[in-house]
Parts: sequence; C-alpha cells; structure tokens
Amino acid sequence: MTTQTSQPAAVAAGRDIRRVPGIGGLALGCAAAVLILLWVGSDGYKQTLVTSAATYALIALGMYVPYLMAGSLSMAYSAYAGIGGYAVGLVSAKTGLPLAVAWLVGPIVAALLAVLLGLVTRRLSGFFLAAVTLLFGMAFTAFLIDAEALSGGSGGLGNLRPLNLFGWTPSHYQMVLGSAVVVCVIAFLLDRLRLSPWGVIVRTMRDAPRAVEAAGVRVPVLNLVALALGAAIAAVGGGLFTYSAGSITPDTFTLNIVFLAIFMPLIGGAGTPWGAVAGAVIAVELTLNFPAIETSGTLLLALGVLVIMLVAPRGVVGYADKLRTRGWALLRKEPDRG
Amino acid sequence: MTDLQLWLSAVEMGCFFGMLALAYYLIHVGAGFFNFAIGPYAMMGGLCTSWLVITYDLGVWPAAATAVAVTIGLAALTELGVVRPVQKRSGGGELPALVAVAAVLFAIQQLAGYVFGYPTLPGQSLATFDPVTVGEVTVQPSSLLMIGVALLSFALSAVWIRSTRTGRLLRAVGDSNRAAALLGLPVNRIRLIAFVLAGFVAALAGILFAPKAGVNSLSGLAWSLSGFLAVVVGGTGSVWAPLFGGMLLGLVEVFLPYYFGGQAHVYGMLFIALLFFAFKPQGLFVRTVRA
Amino acid sequence: MAEEILLVGRGLTKRYGGVTALSEVDFELRAGEVLGLVGPNGAGKTTLVDLISGAQAATAGELTLRGSKLTGPASRRARAGLGRTFQYPQLALELDVRANLLLGRAARRHATLWQMITGAFVGALRPTGAADGAAVRAIANELGIRDLDREAGDLTLGEQRLVEVGRALGQDPLVLLLDEPFAGSDARGVAGIAEVIHTVRRRGHAVILVDHNVDLVARLVDRIMLLDRGRVVFDGDPRDCLASPQMQSVYFGSDADDDDAGDGSPKAEVQDVRS
Repeated sequence: MTTQTSQPAAVAAGRDIRRVPGIGGLALGCAAAVLILLWVGSDGYKQTLVTSAATYALIALGMYVPYLMAGSLSMAYSAYAGIGGYAVGLVSAKTGLPLAVAWLVGPIVAALLAVLLGLVTRRLSGFFLAAVTLLFGMAFTAFLIDAEALSGGSGGLGNLRPLNLFGWTPSHYQMVLGSAVVVCVIAFLLDRLRLSPWGVIVRTMRDAPRAVEAAGVRVPVLNLVALALGAAIAAVGGGLFTYSAGSITPDTFTLNIVFLAIFMPLIGGAGTPWGAVAGAVIAVELTLNFPAIETSGTLLLALGVLVIMLVAPRGVVGYADKLRTRGWALLRKEPDRG
Repeated sequence: MTDLQLWLSAVEMGCFFGMLALAYYLIHVGAGFFNFAIGPYAMMGGLCTSWLVITYDLGVWPAAATAVAVTIGLAALTELGVVRPVQKRSGGGELPALVAVAAVLFAIQQLAGYVFGYPTLPGQSLATFDPVTVGEVTVQPSSLLMIGVALLSFALSAVWIRSTRTGRLLRAVGDSNRAAALLGLPVNRIRLIAFVLAGFVAALAGILFAPKAGVNSLSGLAWSLSGFLAVVVGGTGSVWAPLFGGMLLGLVEVFLPYYFGGQAHVYGMLFIALLFFAFKPQGLFVRTVRA
Repeated sequence: MAEEILLVGRGLTKRYGGVTALSEVDFELRAGEVLGLVGPNGAGKTTLVDLISGAQAATAGELTLRGSKLTGPASRRARAGLGRTFQYPQLALELDVRANLLLGRAARRHATLWQMITGAFVGALRPTGAADGAAVRAIANELGIRDLDREAGDLTLGEQRLVEVGRALGQDPLVLLLDEPFAGSDARGVAGIAEVIHTVRRRGHAVILVDHNVDLVARLVDRIMLLDRGRVVFDGDPRDCLASPQMQSVYFGSDADDDDAGDGSPKAEVQDVRS
C-alpha cells in the first residue's frame, strides 16, 4: 500500500493532499459510491440493494478490526448488528426519545456486550473462539424469540417512527445517500486507524502478541477494546438497515450474514478496509441482484471465495493495487527512456 | 412419552453427536485441526439420500451408497483442494485454516441448497422392520440402527487406530505434520485417509439421523457445532471419548427443552461450551503424554 | 563511584513440574552497567530473561527495580522500565520496518485502558505524528537499518533482530534485556547492537546481554554471569570469567579443572572495547 509507505513523508510534505494517509482509498471509494448511486437513481429496489450493501459493509468493517487487524475471529456479529437494529426498534416503539438516540445507545450496548463476551472467552482463540461466538449468536436469536415482552418475539418490532434530526426528516433517498456516506466515512477512518500507532499495536498483536505485551500494552485489554469497537460499528449497520427496512425480527441478521462478512474482506482484499466494502458490494450484487441464476448467486459467491482464497489471496483490491503499483512503475520508467 | 422414552431419545441423539465427534476426532488426530465442515458432510449424506429416493424413486440402499460416495468425495476435495493448499501457503497458521473450513462449510450448504432445494426433506429409514416394544418403550428401527452403527463405528475405529499400521501412523502424523514429513512418513496419504474416513462416518451419521427430524441444507451448521462441542467435552484422549461427549450433549439436547422449554438447549449448549472452553479445554479424557 | 542499583533479583527460581530450570539466582544490576549472561544451551539464560520480563511467572524469588517491587504481567514491567528482545524475533511480519520500530514508542502512549480507547479515535483522526517519524528514523540510523519500507517478513534473521532491538530501544527502557541478539547477525548487525549498548549505558541505564558466544559477550560487557544447569557458577569480571575454572568446567567437561587447568583460557582474545 502506497499510503503506508508515505507515512513519514506525510509530515514532511505538510499540506500536500496526496500525502494524507488513506486519501487514495477515500477518493476511489467515493467515486465508486457516486457511480453506484447514479446507477441506482430512483429505482426503489436498487435503493434497497444499496442499504443492504451498506449494512453488509458495516458488519464486515466491524469485524475488520478484531478479525483482520488483531487476528481473532469472533462470529457473534449477527448479535451486534441485531442490537443496533433492536435499539432503533425499541427506542421507536417503547420510548418517546428522538430516534437518533438509538444510534448512540445501540453501538454502546453492543460494545459492552462484546466486552462481556470477550471477557468470558478471553482465553480462547481460533476454532474454540469461533464455535463459542457462533453459539452465542444462536443463543441471542433464541433469546429474541423468547423475550416477547421486550423484543416482540418472533414477530419482531415494526412501524418505526421516522427519524427526526433537529427538525429535518430525511427522505428515503436521503437515507440511502446517508448510509453510503456513513460507510465511506467509517472505511476511511478505519483505513487511517490501521496506519496509526494504535493500528500498528493492534496489528502486531496478531503475529507477535508477546512483543506487544513486552512493549507495555496489556494484550487482553487491547483485544477487548478492538472487539468493542468492531461491535459498535456493526451495530451502526444494524440500525441503518432496520430503519430502512422499517422493521426487525430475530431473523433479520442471521449467521449467514456473519459468514458472508468473513468472506467479504477475502473477496475485496484484506489489506485495507475498503476491501471489505468492495466485498460487501460484490456479495450483495451476487446474492440479491443476480437475475440470471438467482438461487445460485450465494453458491457462486461461496465457490468464488474458495477460488480467491486459493488463487488470489490478496483479493480484488489487493490485486488492483498490485496492478496499479506495476502501472506506476511503468509510467515512471517511460520519461527516462524518452 | 415416558421418561424412559426420553432417555432412549437422548442416547440416540448422543450417538449421532458422538459419530460427528468421531469424524472430528479422526481429522484432528491426523491433521491437527478441527474441520468445521463435518456437519455439512452429515447434512450432505442425509439430504442427498432423501433427495435421490424422493426425486428419482431410487431404493434407499443405492441412494444411501451414492450419498456416502458423494460425501467422501467432498471430504477428499476439502483436503486436497482447499485445506492442503491453504495450509501450505500460510505455513500452518490457525486462522487461515479456520477461514478455509468456514468457506467449505458455507459452500457445501449452498451447493446442497442449489442442487437439492431448500425445503426440509423427510429422512429415509434404512431399516424396515417393525418398531420393537420393550416394556413401556417403543424402539423405532431407525433408533436401533443409529445406536448400533454408532457403537460399531467407534469399535472399528478403536481397532483400526490400535492395531493397523495406518491407524498407528495416524497418531504419529497428527502429533506434528512437519516432524512426520521429515521422518519420511506418508503425511499426505495419512491425512487424506483421515478425511475420507471422517467423511464416511459423518455421511453415515447424517443418513441415520435424518429420519428423526428431517434434514435441510442448513442443518449442517448446528450439527457442526454440536459435534465440535462433543469432541471438546469428551477430549481427544481416547477413541471412545467423543462418544462420551456426544452422550452428554444428547442429554442436554433432549432433557433441557423437556424441563425448561423450547429454546433451553441452545442456552445449555452455550453454557457447556463456555464452561468447558474456559476451564477444561483439553476435555474430560486427556491423553497422557509420555515424556 | 557508587552508581545507583537499578535491578535486583533475589532467589529467582523456576520449576516445570519436577524439573528445575533456574535455582536461587541472585543478581544486582547497577545504572550504566552491562551484564553478560552466558552458559551452554539449557543453562537457564532465556528462562531468567523471561522471569525478569514477566513472560513467565517465577516459582519463587523477587525482583526490585529502583527500589520498588517488580511484579505482574510483562506489560506492567515494561511500563516500569524493562525492554526486551526475543530469542526468536517477534515481529509483525506483514508490517514494514517503520511500523515495527514504531511499536516501542507507540506502546507508551497506549498503556492504560483510557489511552487504548481514546487512542483508537485519535489514531483515526491523526494517524501520523512528526515526533514519531523523527524518532523512528533516529533509531534506524543508530542501528544502521536502511530501507524502512520493507516488510519485516522479507528481512534476514539478523536484520529482524536489529529491528527488534530498535523497537525495544524506542521504549527508552531502564533495563534492556537482549536475548541472543547476535545469532544470525553479520558484522554490521553486531556493530549496530554494540552501538545500542553504548547508547543505553551513556543514558545511565543498564543492559543484560544473553548469548552463548562468550568471546563476543566478554568484549561488550562490564560483568559476566555464567549459568550452568540453572545455577550461577560465576559472577564477576569478564576476563576473570574466561580464565576461571568454572568456565573450563561448564564448557569443557567436569574434569577440565583437574587436568587441564594449566592449559589456559578458551581461545578468547579479550579485546576491550569499553571506552
């Protein structure tokens, strides 16, 4: 990644916009978002696709921090997204508070739950962690069905109040736009976070936790912080989806989404958070908007993941980046020859 | 239903989980990791049999034989096509292997859904004799077969591991794939045998269990978790340990919903997982390591 | 001159089951002192480093750093002033050299829970800092590490060790523990590490240098501790150590001190590089 290599130069170059960490990804991401929004236009179904893609992207971005930066695969993200969604549903149905509060409460509750689960599973890693967090996701769904008084049981919560931000009620299209903006902002910030000292410490935890501990950072504690951050981001996604869909049930966020979210960064490229976003867009395109062989879209995705894992482990974004680096190298050589 | 009938049900469930755990055990001993695709193998066995019988009017036995062959093929493909190349590239790290088997799990689910359809199909019973009544308990032929085949699988595995050359090599290879390769042991062949046997056992388990509640393309994930839990609870100390773990989970699966309502077994599973993973991750039966 | 005593170990013992890896080790380390820790494989060198740094819990014994007890997990001890490298380099192999060097410095700003939480937000908003860049470059220069953009996984073992030493130096530790820093190093690597040792000493801090290359260690240290089967068998001047009967016995068998005592010291040419 060129952004990584230009890290100290960013300081020396001062205000040079090209040297702002993460700006390249942001520019590409925004350009892609604009193109997608142009393609969507006023088509209602395509707008739903965008909110779905944004939700998938936010769940994958949430997982990005603990899974690809810190190297621990927690799979309870259906629960975290669900909390974000139920926060919107509950604030709307059971309180008189402004709906915007849900986006504050949901992520915080999800983060706290992630910390709790992280504390209980702090000694686990790999297969054991994956199994427990999957079981937790199942138990959470069971809980939502059981706790009818709170969650509305298997019927879920519906009839949401419209969002009111200081007197402004966004239209459906503005919500679609807003979710795309939220995704771009969070991906950009995560990309910068990855390059920051915090990101360096967290990413070192993955390969060399002993070194992090020996440098003075308590690894289990930082792990909890990473899990909490990831859960909060996924909860934002859950909230967005629930608001756009107008309702939430225990089946809204299934374990299927968690599996997809593991694969999205693989498809897009694990090197940067934008890879997760790209993967989310591809996943939605294949699973929800593939008219030719609708039912097999997910199968195609699953097989694609296997192929990518074997053939192009850096994913789409990583592959494009390699091409770009090569292209730059060629371009730089041209003037010399001429 | 009498209490005794519940116990029978729990034993049957336990045998099913035990067989899944045995499949985990074989791959874990031979290849040193947990193959989460075990549940989907079992689903494949059960669903493929039912689909062949229902769609093509095939006899149960040829259908089951085809399903077992397909599942064994999938298991071999998992090792040859996915796990081995990924592990080779990543140098044996745990996370890449985990993500790879998650992808396999997901792909088999989708493949089964695409080919066999998404609705739940009724299981096909291999045994056709009448239910046997012992006192107050009615034993379905499918239950009898499940229990019998499970015990037989465990017995044969135990004999195989203890008294054949390949079986003994399995242990040697599994302790350290790299060290075994340096010693010139046929690591790849042994690993493949472990995967094939696991696929066979899992497919059999799926076929025998399907009559109990039917099977659909998404049954595999929950079965994967139950089997994993059973092998963790039992431990990998002896071939029979997974059966013990399976029995314990069978009791949980049957009695918790009976006493505490429909979803209780899900909470119970989570509770057991947390309990064991936190305090006894090596399981109840630990293999004594000779220094 | 009576320099301040920085680190004191008393009765440090480590048992694994019935095996005693380290038995009743006592030592003192003064400010500005470089202590060599030598001994054959399995003598307990790395175990001692692990007990000091907190990577392993001691079975018995206690440590004090500048008069206060040194306890708890490795991270707490690091914050108290310990820095270390590992026998097998522990680097983030997919990160570049710059990021690996930054870790030591960055860790100091992420020590408490509050700093870890705010660090995520600060990091996202302001990923790079001028001071960090300059400090990392200074450390790289001192060690002679070039090309900070390479991935750590592409480095040779010797280069990886240099990066580890640089990372530990970034913590500005009171006591720097170097566990076999020379294995796999070339002449330039050795020079870089020697330079670091001098820097730390100049700051009035201390170094514990572990290696089994006794000749090399003897040239760089003020004092040598010789370990054998978990016990300290010699503690004193490096030159005395090389000529000592204990040295003979540890490295050339137990009868060496009877028969071959007159045969002289091991082929060490003690060349004092201390200023």
